[in-house]
Amino acid sequence: MERRYPWAGFAWAAVAVAACTGVGLAMRARFDLVNIAMVYVLGVVVVALRHARGPAIATAVLCVLAFDFLFVPPRGTLTVDDAQYLLTFAILVAIALVISHLTGDVRRRARALAALEMEAETERIRATLLASISHDLRTPLAVMTGASSTLAERGEKLAAGERAALAKSILDQAREMSEHVAKVLQMTRLETGSLVLERDWASIAEIAGTVLGRLAERLATHRVMLEIPEDVPLVRVDAALVEQALANLMENAARHTPPGTVVRLRVERAADEIIVSVENFGGDLPRADLERIFAKFERGVAESSGGMGLGLAICRAIVRLHGGRAWAERIAGGGIAFRFTLALEPAPLVPAEPASAEAR
Amino acid sequence: MTGARSSILLVEDEPEIRRFLRATLAAEGYRVVESPSGRRGSIDAATHKPDLAIVDLGLPDFDGVEVIRRIREWSAMPILVLSARVHERSKIDALDAGADDYVTKPFAVGELLARIRAGLRHGVRRPGGGAVLELEDATVDLDRRKATRGGAEVHLTPIELRLLSALARHAGMVVTQRQLLTEVWGPTHAADTHYLRIYMKQLRDKLEKDPIRPRHLRTETGVGYRLVIGD
Repeated sequence: MERRYPWAGFAWAAVAVAACTGVGLAMRARFDLVNIAMVYVLGVVVVALRHARGPAIATAVLCVLAFDFLFVPPRGTLTVDDAQYLLTFAILVAIALVISHLTGDVRRRARALAALEMEAETERIRATLLASISHDLRTPLAVMTGASSTLAERGEKLAAGERAALAKSILDQAREMSEHVAKVLQMTRLETGSLVLERDWASIAEIAGTVLGRLAERLATHRVMLEIPEDVPLVRVDAALVEQALANLMENAARHTPPGTVVRLRVERAADEIIVSVENFGGDLPRADLERIFAKFERGVAESSGGMGLGLAICRAIVRLHGGRAWAERIAGGGIAFRFTLALEPAPLVPAEPASAEAR
Repeated sequence: MTGARSSILLVEDEPEIRRFLRATLAAEGYRVVESPSGRRGSIDAATHKPDLAIVDLGLPDFDGVEVIRRIREWSAMPILVLSARVHERSKIDALDAGADDYVTKPFAVGELLARIRAGLRHGVRRPGGGAVLELEDATVDLDRRKATRGGAEVHLTPIELRLLSALARHAGMVVTQRQLLTEVWGPTHAADTHYLRIYMKQLRDKLEKDPIRPRHLRTETGVGYRLVIGD
């Protein structure tokens, strides 16, 4: 703020001097001049603490002038009877210089520290990313290398059914890997801010349908229930991104809850937004983890259930980019609800179709 | 399977991808001409006059979209795009330049073959013929403007019929939102995508067994719609 409005510091200097003067005038009847000088010292200290050197010195000089003019005899002039007040003036200016120098130093150090912390955070993310990639890609690569070398080197010795099974497992692992890579790329794009939203009117029911179609195979293990009211208004969103956010939630539900359990996709209309929920009735998380799982590379339960821990982070980043919220909460009776909101805008008009010729 | 031995031009710079596509397409009975670059591909298209072209969007010499433009200058052959880019924009650019459909890398071969079949069908389609759509739960006779579902007649509005016809003309292939809006509502409404959301919902409600999970009237999010019949 200080850098953007350099004059703000000087304005505060004037305000501080005026305030000190007001307090000083009120004190004059009952207090010594020394105490009134202390009020001015306080003003200089405050300005020097919060602003740069220029405003601090300006405050000191203005304080000296005001103190001299209004309080030091002879009042109403800038002349000084007692030379010891010259010392008071010098001390005021010195205080302004020392404190503004100190705080400037502290501020510079804080900035350097913040930069260092940022670097450390970037480094931490990079390390986790590498660890995660090497863990999550190594297994599929091992399977693919093993299965494909078997096919290439001794395929003719295998029964047709075994060959097909090996080929299928290569395909499955390759798909898994390609999804991992896509997620890492997407997260990077979301974080670097290089992603531009292509907003367009979209139907959340249509997006939900596309997600269900795309994930049909993966969701086949669960009982999917839909609760989407007929009259949900259109939303202005980047449909491809929202589709991805929702897909990540559905995929998570299928991945992290026992087969055969219910996954419910629900859309509700609130006052000025819609709430999209993916509720599972087979998962559980300690309350403390409900927020943690939205961080990158965090998984609910350690490793075993697979996935890289990017799905929720991507979902939240996409929703935030749209100005919405994404969170998780426990459902009474067991289960977890993952929800996100999308803002509603005044719906566009679709001209009514002229009464059709087909009156029959 | 395909008795006619259709020929396919494959413009792709990655030898490994060419290798497995060549094997797959040959096994399906297609004749394959391979071009490793955009320049070569544009020339091969003219000299071999294939029945269909598959063009990779990320070519080393010039953009696949440029290849599509060059082919479209003189030919209406069906063009399928292979796109490694996840971003919808490049697909739309290719479709606007005249490509008929796309497959995103990495793809499973089944998907590509389905697109090829749809493309070749489109290439030999006689205008006006076979305008009866047999859907899972309904039948639509586009010429006679009549739809039935479970024996009962279903009323389709003129706009719904036009929208369905526009999709049916490219059955099996993606039709971009812009294309649909221009064909059905006219060029001044090319950006009014909310019309499509409303009318596609109406069509699905009337014709699909499960309108939320449509089998025939599929959405290609951010790109357009696809009418899927059979396959």
